[in-house]
Amino acid sequence: MRNTFANAVMEACDNRRDVFICSGDAGLGVFDDFQNTHSEHFLNMGVAEQNMIGFSAGLAMTGFKVFCYNIIPFVLYRCYEQVRNDICYQRLPVVLAGIGSGVAYAPAGMTHYSVEDIGIARTLPNLTVFSPIDPAEAACCAEYALDATEPVYVRLAKRGEPGIHKDEQIDITLPCILRTGREIAVITHGAIAAEVLAAADLLQEHNIYPRVISVTQIQPLNLQALQSALQGIRTVMSIEEHFVGSGLGSILAGAWAGQKNAPKLLMWGIPDAFIHAIRAGDRMREEFGLSAPQIADRIKMLVEKGDE
Amino acid sequence: MSVLCEFSTRRLADTARAIRRRVIDVACASRCPHVGCALSCVDILTALYFDVLRLEPWEQRDIAILSKGHASLALCCTLAEREILSEEMLAGYFRDKGTLPAHLDRFSARGIEVSTGALGHGFNIGLGMAFGFKQQNSDRKVFCIIGDGESQEGSIWEGAMFGAKLRLGNFTAILDYNNLQGYGRPKDTCCFEPIADKWEAFGWQVVEVDGHDIMALTEALAMRPDNKPRMVIAHTIKGKGISFMEDRLQWHYYLVTEELKQKALQELA
Repeated sequence: MRNTFANAVMEACDNRRDVFICSGDAGLGVFDDFQNTHSEHFLNMGVAEQNMIGFSAGLAMTGFKVFCYNIIPFVLYRCYEQVRNDICYQRLPVVLAGIGSGVAYAPAGMTHYSVEDIGIARTLPNLTVFSPIDPAEAACCAEYALDATEPVYVRLAKRGEPGIHKDEQIDITLPCILRTGREIAVITHGAIAAEVLAAADLLQEHNIYPRVISVTQIQPLNLQALQSALQGIRTVMSIEEHFVGSGLGSILAGAWAGQKNAPKLLMWGIPDAFIHAIRAGDRMREEFGLSAPQIADRIKMLVEKGDE
Repeated sequence: MSVLCEFSTRRLADTARAIRRRVIDVACASRCPHVGCALSCVDILTALYFDVLRLEPWEQRDIAILSKGHASLALCCTLAEREILSEEMLAGYFRDKGTLPAHLDRFSARGIEVSTGALGHGFNIGLGMAFGFKQQNSDRKVFCIIGDGESQEGSIWEGAMFGAKLRLGNFTAILDYNNLQGYGRPKDTCCFEPIADKWEAFGWQVVEVDGHDIMALTEALAMRPDNKPRMVIAHTIKGKGISFMEDRLQWHYYLVTEELKQKALQELA
């Protein structure tokens, strides 16, 4: 994801003088050639995240489209007030390209996980938030961000995520039905979508067909389109590689609270606690019941339990 | 270099006095705090808006950022005196259903370049703007006023290290060194001095001036050095111009009553 996103932005620099990339001392293997061939489009801002965001806001005020590239904690947490006041409050076209969503960097340790970023991003008015499921969507997010006149945050994983979309047209602003199904719908976002789809494959032998819906644009959330995608569904399970208390599931819970015809919602994700477990890469997901077989079991239980 | 004749120096001093009268008036009417913080930077703003800044054509104007946004009253009064901000707008400062909040909102009025209030933000935004102008080969300049308390923010030193590396000769920071922050003196709060040496060590060209000597200010602000960003350390007095406010910590927050207003205006007559 990281590379397809960055490549799309770098390519745009060939035709646009106003595109500028600020990196927070990150990007080995991503900007190695670019920083030499396109030095007028790139700055390594060093290990100084507050300055990077404030500086990017100023650069945007002079007419540049600025991309801030770093791991998520360093584009959103360390410099939260700069994102809030300098970019979002001032409504500037700065793009926060955050990598390392969820526990993508396991076992790097809690400081390098991004399991609360959606919760933080949703506190920021004017910020459009995307959580792409695969490299093709990441490229679409880059295209959207290149044209955006307002702040954008893109939650990217790392590199090597499997492609989910084939050649079809992708509209990242709308919920996307990845698998049709009747009994239950699973709503997901980000790289964990691959596990959810693998779970759906496993469930086929049990004759269970969950409708799998990805929501890439999390903010502002197109609730109407999501409700259309949920037509005929009475039970929804949100599955995300994020703290369960502050992710997309919690946004849906808030949106549907008090709604008469709202579906029954079950939220699944990472418990709201600091992570001390040491598990490698995707295996960390097992720690939280987020591997494909565990997701399949959970859905199966839910379907077998019926509509209690 | 801007060398002002005696006549225009006197005119600028009159302008600064008029701005201070506005500060007292609006502070009393709106019952807003931060009066002392505003009064310390009035001469700096006068030098900027009435001599140093290029404001025509507006689209190509130089940028002045008040990074110590809690002194917004001084900026708003200066903009009103310069007729960039209307009297009606100024009358709605910090008022119920008014026009201007007590910390700057760039969408509230023309002339308010950057939304500031939380400290250690405007400085870095200014660096970004200066870099943007440089990239565009524009000769627009950026001036940014920071406070001495604000200088304790880490973001200031992140930017200081970076601004020199980018050789932002079109950027000038002005330290309103009024020697009183919210709840003490900078040197009693942290290892503040030697502040000039610190900036020099960070690669900045440092000039020290009497921050109430408008001629010295205009000269310091007008001269363009090489490719180094510049730090003008303006030694000022909190509450400058009103004897009972000068160098008094309380006037970070105290309010101007009707009685105090009359006393203050007599001193500014």
